[in-house]
Amino acid sequence: MNLEVEIAGIKLKNPVIAASGTFGFGREYSKLIDISEFGAICTKGITLKKRNGNPQPRLCEVYAGIINSVGLENPGVEAFINDELPFLKGFDTKIIANINGFTKEEFVELTRILTSLVDMIEVNLSCPNVKEGGMVFGKDPKKVYEITKSVKNVASCPIIVKLTPNVTDITQLAIAAEDAGADAISLINTVSAMAIDIETRKPLIKMVTGGLSGPAIKPIAVRMVYECFKKVRIPIIGMGGIMNYKDAIEFFIAGATAIQIGTVNFINPKAVCEIKEGIEAYLERKGFSSIKELVSSINI
Amino acid sequence: MKLLDVEIEENVKIANDIFLLSFESEYLAENFKPGNFVNILIDKESIYPLLRRPFSISFVEGKRVYIGYKLVGKGTKLLSQKSKGEAIDILGPLGNSFLTDTFDGKVAVIGGGVGIFPLLGLCKELKNRGNKVDVFLGFRDLNSMFLVERFEDICDNTLIATDDGCRGYKGSVVELFKANVSKEEYKVVFCCGPKPMLKAIKNLNLPVKCYASLEEKMACGIGACLCCSIKGKDDKMYHACSDGPVFDIMEVEIE
Repeated sequence: MNLEVEIAGIKLKNPVIAASGTFGFGREYSKLIDISEFGAICTKGITLKKRNGNPQPRLCEVYAGIINSVGLENPGVEAFINDELPFLKGFDTKIIANINGFTKEEFVELTRILTSLVDMIEVNLSCPNVKEGGMVFGKDPKKVYEITKSVKNVASCPIIVKLTPNVTDITQLAIAAEDAGADAISLINTVSAMAIDIETRKPLIKMVTGGLSGPAIKPIAVRMVYECFKKVRIPIIGMGGIMNYKDAIEFFIAGATAIQIGTVNFINPKAVCEIKEGIEAYLERKGFSSIKELVSSINI
Repeated sequence: MKLLDVEIEENVKIANDIFLLSFESEYLAENFKPGNFVNILIDKESIYPLLRRPFSISFVEGKRVYIGYKLVGKGTKLLSQKSKGEAIDILGPLGNSFLTDTFDGKVAVIGGGVGIFPLLGLCKELKNRGNKVDVFLGFRDLNSMFLVERFEDICDNTLIATDDGCRGYKGSVVELFKANVSKEEYKVVFCCGPKPMLKAIKNLNLPVKCYASLEEKMACGIGACLCCSIKGKDDKMYHACSDGPVFDIMEVEIE
C-alpha cells in the first residue's frame, strides 16, 4: 500500500508528521527511533533571536491531556541553521520549519532566511503562550491575511499557516489564509486552558493559562478540520490529540490530507510506526487504494 | 537509553506512603550511573494519567534494578497497586550522573524525603571508588523512615535528622550537616531533596563543589518538550531531563 501524500507539490512518503514543539529538532528522538519513519518533521518553533521561554512550572497534566506554557524557548534561527538543520538533513524525511514572529516583519525575515533551506515553512500564527504575535495575530483574519501575503511574497517553498482553535469561527482564519495564498493550513494548535491546585488556590501553570493538547482536544480538532474542509480548497494538515491510527483515520475522513502527531510522542516514541501500520491495514481492510480516497469520505 | 518491557519482581511499601519497586533488566543494570532516572508508562491504555512518570533509579544489585517512589497522585497510586509479574514499560536510563569526576577523600551526601532514593546507588559507587562517605538523611518522623540500614551498611557514617526528634538530630538535615561540615573537610558534597532543602544547602556557600539532583515536571524525559527548564547563570537555560537532573548547585537557580 502506497501511503504517499502530496502537499503543495511536495511529496511526503507517508502522511504522518511530527508536530512542532513535541519533537525538538529530531535529535533527541533519533536515539530511540529511526526518525526517517516520519513523512515530515515539523521543527520546534523558531524565532529570529534565541528565547528562554516562560518560567516554571510550564507543564501540568489534566484529564486526558496536558497544559503547557513553554513560551517558544528556542536557540534562534542562526543556531537552528548551523547546529540543527545539517543533522536533520541526514534523514530521509521532509523538513518543515515552524516559524514565529512578534511582528509581520519578523515572519517575513524568517521566511526569507529559511525558504531555500527547508522543504516547507509552517507559519505559526497560533502560539497561545506568548504575549505578542502568536495567537494575538492568529485570531484576527485580517492579520492572518496580511502576514500570510507578506510571507508568500518572499517564499520560494510552500507555506503552511498554522491556525488557532481559540476563536468563534476557525473557518474565517482558514479562508483568510487561503485568500492570501497559503499553500496549506494546519490545525489545530493547542486550546487555551487553565488548571488550579485547590489546596494552594494557585494556577498549576506559572503563566496562569497555557495550551491544552492530548486526547481531550481531539473531537474539537476533528470538527474544525471538517468545517474548514468545506470552506477551503488548499490541503489541510490535521492534528490534536492523535494517539493511535484510529484517531488519525478520523482526521482523514473529516478532510485532512496529512496529520501531525504531538503529545503521543512523549508517551510512545514508537507511535509513528504503529500509526502508519494501522493506517495501512485500515485502507486495505476497507478496500481503499490510497489515502486520497479516504480524505473527506465522511458518510453523513 | 532504550524502551524496555520489564516484569515487576517486587513492589513493596517500605514506609508511610513510600514504596520500593524492583525488576530485572540487564541493560539498565549495566548502563546505570548514579543519578540516572527512568520514565515509566504506568498504564498503556490510560488517558489519566497520560504521561510517563519520571523516577530516579535508587540502586542496582546484579541485574536487579530498584526504584523508590512516594504516593503523591493517581499515577503513583496505580503503580503501587501493581504486583509481581505485571509488565511495565520503561524508558531509560535517562539523564546525567552525579559522578562527573573521581574523588579521593571524604565525601558528604545529603538527602531529604523521597530525594534519598537516588543517593543509595551513589553511596555504593562512591565507596567502590575508595571514598569515605558520610551520609546525612532527613525524615519527617519514624513512619517515614526508609533504607536507613542499607545506608548504614555502606557508608562510613550515617547521620539522621528527624523533624520530631524521634531519631537522631531534631531539626532539619541541613542544620545537622552544617554542624558537622565545620569539623570535617569534605572534598565534595552531593544532595537530593525538596527545593527548600537544596536552597538552604546552596545558601551555605560551601567552599567545595556541591552537586544537586533537581526535579521539574517533564513530559518527554529526553530533552524534546522543553517543559523542565531550569535557569542557569549567564542567561543559560538547562533542562532537568537532558542536562540534569544533576547540576553544580552554584550554576543553577533554585526557586
